[in-house]
Amino acid sequence: MKKYIKVVLVLTSICAVAAVLLALVNSVTAPIISLHEEEAAMKALEEVSCGMEIGDRTDMTESETVNHYYKLHIAGGVTGGYILDLSGKGYGGALALVACYDPNGKLLAAKIVSENETPGVGKKATLSGYMDKFIGKGTQFPIPTAKRMLTDEEAIAVSGATMTFTGVSKALAAGSELVKSLGGK
Amino acid sequence: MSAHIKELTKGIFRENPTFIIMLGMCPTLAVTTQVINALSMGAGVLFVLFFSNVMISLLKNVIPDCVRIPCYVVIIASFVTVVEMIFHAFVPSVYNALGVYLPLIVVNCIILGRAEAFANKNSVLDSALDAIGMGTGFTLALTLIALIREASGNGTVTLLGIGDWNGVINIPIFSKWPVKVMSLAAGALLLMGYLKAFFIWKSSVSVKKEVKP
Repeated sequence: MKKYIKVVLVLTSICAVAAVLLALVNSVTAPIISLHEEEAAMKALEEVSCGMEIGDRTDMTESETVNHYYKLHIAGGVTGGYILDLSGKGYGGALALVACYDPNGKLLAAKIVSENETPGVGKKATLSGYMDKFIGKGTQFPIPTAKRMLTDEEAIAVSGATMTFTGVSKALAAGSELVKSLGGK
Repeated sequence: MSAHIKELTKGIFRENPTFIIMLGMCPTLAVTTQVINALSMGAGVLFVLFFSNVMISLLKNVIPDCVRIPCYVVIIASFVTVVEMIFHAFVPSVYNALGVYLPLIVVNCIILGRAEAFANKNSVLDSALDAIGMGTGFTLALTLIALIREASGNGTVTLLGIGDWNGVINIPIFSKWPVKVMSLAAGALLLMGYLKAFFIWKSSVSVKKEVKP
């Protein structure tokens, strides 16, 4: 009995000391990490803002795909578009995107900000040029959400990474629909 | 004194964890695509190895034998999490580049191997020296592999960027005609084989010299 009590006490003490150490280090590093993440998010917003001024943020609680959006202003305070923070589901789990639309729901620019896709396969979605197949679509032509809506060349490019393509395209299409529902407000 | 020096230097060549004992092969092959990744992984392993060896040596008489492995894993995992948080906060580019291999230091054979084979049987000083030697040997091995792979396969040597300098040094001939296979997994295995052969040859020469009267 004494032996078992010693085992429990030693393991508990080691775990307690480890938890205190980790809490101390976390208290120092967490604010710095959060600052880096905010800076990276701001940089991503500026990259897709198409030179327009980024306005106020509106949080979306009822949507699973759109987390929040920012209004974009052009000269004279007119709404020139929206930047949406989107969530999708790829092969490696959650995908986070930022996408810029005009007030009619046409996609102007998009960027993946975080993912966990397979290197050399799904990770290709982070390369420049991947979003070209979606840009300019959303009004006259719908945003392609299936491989049959792509040209042969584009379909070959996403082959082997269908789940990543579906995750990205469905998030972008949902974003376009939301922008249309806003009606430029 | 000479025994302490022996403990410190054995990990660098005679018992090098990568080339002689052949431990920690997964991170060795995976992160040696750039010199900065190799140096960072080496620094992370050195930090974890040093503190876990010291802690395990200190607690060797307290930890019951039947739960020693769970205790070692808790100690090692705590130091790995500390390294992860520090890298995430202060060198985010390296943190992103190392990816899953950073938390996987927990299951690095070198660390658990040294805890089980050395730290739980020896004094704190010897365990600390063993950790410094083994960690340095691992870092040097990773850096050597990364240097050859990156220079020949990509024509560059990437170090930590400071200020306006991005940390990339171009290698004249290879930047124009890189040996692409060296930056791929096959190149890593080929190079590892050649370096292992070199180390076996070098060790056998040293043994022959010692045997001769």
